[in-house]
Amino acid sequence: MSLDTPKLTESEPIRSDLSQSHTKRWALWFSGIALVVWLFYTFVLPLLGEQAGTFIRHWMPLGSINEALVWVICAIGLNIVVGYAGLLDLGFVAFWAIGGYIAAWLMSTFFDQISHGIYFLSAAPPNQHGIHINWWLVLIISGCVCAFAGIVIGAPTLRLKSDYLALVTLGFGEIIPQFFVNGENIFGFNLTNGVKGISPLDNVSPLPFGPPAVSLGGATIPISQPLGPFDVGAKYVLFVLVAAFCIFVSLRLREGRLGRAWLAIREDELAASMMGVPLMQSKLAAYAVGAFMGGLGGVVYAVHNNSVFPDRFSFAISIVLLAMVVLGGMGNVWGVIVGALGLAWFNSTGLPQLGDSFNEQFGTDINFPSYNYLVFGSILVLMMLFRREGIFPEARTRQVLREAERSDAEELDGGEV
Amino acid sequence: MHKSLKMITAAVVGAVALAACGGSGASPGSTGGSTGKTLIIGTDFPLQGAAADETIQVNQAIELYLEQIGHKVGNYTIELKKYDDSSAAAGKWDPALCTKNAADHVANANEIAVVGAFNSGCSKIEVPILNQDPNGPMLMVSNSNTNPGLTKSWDPGEPDKYYPMSKRNYARVVTTDDNQGRAAAQFMVHDLGVKKCYVLNDNDTYGQGVAQAFVTEAANLQLQILGNEPWDRAQPSYTGLFEKIKALGPDCIFLGGSFDNNGGQLVRDKVAVLGDNTAVKLMGPDGFTGFTVLDTLPESQGMYLSFPGLTRAGLTAQGGEAAKLLAAYAAKYGAPPTTSYALYGIAAVQVILAAIAKSDGTRKSVTSQLFSGAGVTIPADVSAIGKAFSIDTASGDVTVLDTTIEVIKDNAESFVKIWPITS
Repeated sequence: MSLDTPKLTESEPIRSDLSQSHTKRWALWFSGIALVVWLFYTFVLPLLGEQAGTFIRHWMPLGSINEALVWVICAIGLNIVVGYAGLLDLGFVAFWAIGGYIAAWLMSTFFDQISHGIYFLSAAPPNQHGIHINWWLVLIISGCVCAFAGIVIGAPTLRLKSDYLALVTLGFGEIIPQFFVNGENIFGFNLTNGVKGISPLDNVSPLPFGPPAVSLGGATIPISQPLGPFDVGAKYVLFVLVAAFCIFVSLRLREGRLGRAWLAIREDELAASMMGVPLMQSKLAAYAVGAFMGGLGGVVYAVHNNSVFPDRFSFAISIVLLAMVVLGGMGNVWGVIVGALGLAWFNSTGLPQLGDSFNEQFGTDINFPSYNYLVFGSILVLMMLFRREGIFPEARTRQVLREAERSDAEELDGGEV
Repeated sequence: MHKSLKMITAAVVGAVALAACGGSGASPGSTGGSTGKTLIIGTDFPLQGAAADETIQVNQAIELYLEQIGHKVGNYTIELKKYDDSSAAAGKWDPALCTKNAADHVANANEIAVVGAFNSGCSKIEVPILNQDPNGPMLMVSNSNTNPGLTKSWDPGEPDKYYPMSKRNYARVVTTDDNQGRAAAQFMVHDLGVKKCYVLNDNDTYGQGVAQAFVTEAANLQLQILGNEPWDRAQPSYTGLFEKIKALGPDCIFLGGSFDNNGGQLVRDKVAVLGDNTAVKLMGPDGFTGFTVLDTLPESQGMYLSFPGLTRAGLTAQGGEAAKLLAAYAAKYGAPPTTSYALYGIAAVQVILAAIAKSDGTRKSVTSQLFSGAGVTIPADVSAIGKAFSIDTASGDVTVLDTTIEVIKDNAESFVKIWPITS
């Protein structure tokens, strides 16, 4: 995949690498790749021989791609806070958790006190207990609630910087999952079901109306029928649409006035303030937009797993998300996407599969997944040594980091390098 | 931009053209009924984190058993495929991997049934997915799930919400937490003569369940429960907690939970504050069994344990097929398994093999054999758990409700007695 990142020279002024044509080109690439992947898994994979089909199902199952898309959505959200606005957030998992639980509350039989069920355009079977709302609407509700939560967490941190900001966000990321763990008995009311979590959730449907499904090229494409656990292709399309929305919002905001304000705060908060950038408004907007996407990621995650459990929302998740942003290229949406897809695949499928193949080949019994963090940490160390700006850095970040290297060399050589 | 557009267009056209050329492919998950074919049994355990020591032994025990039977049952060749439902990030079972594994079980065309999951929470995710297998339902038999809700009415909506196709496809070869908690309370009252107990739980699904069962039975036995509260696994010390408990004057402590939730520190601090286990009795459920680290702690000596079945120590003393399996395991791997769940892993495989032997080799038929007609019975002379057992065709629960009582003595878990469940 060519990336065509513009090369910067000393004589060339810094320019936005997100000009309109650039954005359109990337939108085309994203849509094209997403479409090719769907066509491949829907139409081509069933035609491949058993050996090739098994190989692909083992090394790149569509279910793993769907899970990776959850990470992509959340990483794009975190990128707005960390990459755009430069606000270190170590508790992003809290929004993921809130989004997941909102999906569980609004799309399951959990609230069995509601004996006849509350239904709104849902694909759930009739006459069930609980609340059953259409998942598109749940996405919006979850995003809005998380955006509000983002403002709540953002407000007390406005005066904080660096380590102190990180500590406050870390605290928030620890408190929220604990609330879900202990929420089984809130004045006698079971709000979260504690560590038992909530499962299963309602099956979602792509659209609330229309024909149940259409036939295309020998494949059945669901339209309004509920998606079962094996409709991973249809779920892939839904998750891609949510990811595409996040990418679109992220790119458009980056180009606009708010995006430029975020970058100004990131580069030099004092200078930005002196130039008239509204710090409070801009920072809160970054938290809100990032949290909105975290909420979307939470709903997608809950739908993907058909369940939510509080102990899944651990501090490690926030760190892995941050690593995805740093590794991919902080500030660059496409870099973050590549980082998220790569690390998510490596965690869920790549390393276990590599281990299986190695053990099969050499007759060993090494538990490869247990070395996950060793490999992961080594990659991060190597990246920091040789490519601090990430795999696909934002042009501005790259130039800042390269400038420092050049100055060091000039000091040593006493002249131009 | 034009170049990019051309490349994408070519790729899309190519994919569609390939699709148009083909006919209908083999549906994933289809299993034929022909004889002499190879069938796969999957195991689905957390192979990372604290439970890994136990689950690796279960896998080894199953491998050993399949070798002993020549990987054959009837006309079928049986292979084993090991799935890991844990992640390094979680350090334990991971819901995302449970979801993925369930889809993989179904997609693996020759896979006929699954042994697992090790944790009830993971089973609650996987069972509904396997239940909806278009070529199934696909059978899952657990060797270690003790949460009652998987098979019988417990929390709201359970167990029906795990079976969306309204057909059972889940069975287990161990008894449930309600029976284990009940047995522990009965043993403490009748054999140890305790009057006032304080109950601690690890705030996990399993720990809460078994602690609540203990508390419920205590009420029937006129055993006074001074309190039932969670312990925080992240605490470096529990002396403050036990000082508070000491003031209430208990003569027993029941730990509902798992040793890997900082159970070692809890046991040490219990003895430091309340004295050794002869003064104030200490008892834990099977979440505290199978840990060499616990067994060799000076503070754990005299601690009583319950296990929802028959334990390794008891089965060795009893002799028969189970003892032979333990000896064979020790011969192959250098030492007997530390966990009694290893033998229950073999018992789960025996149930699946018996169902395969009666079936036509399809998933649907295998599941049907277990849950209809006479069901499956494993006779005593071949049973990995030392006595005949069968699976209830209505619920999927095992019919043997024995709970074993052990005591930690001389740095090992020693058999005390089999506790018969009485209601």
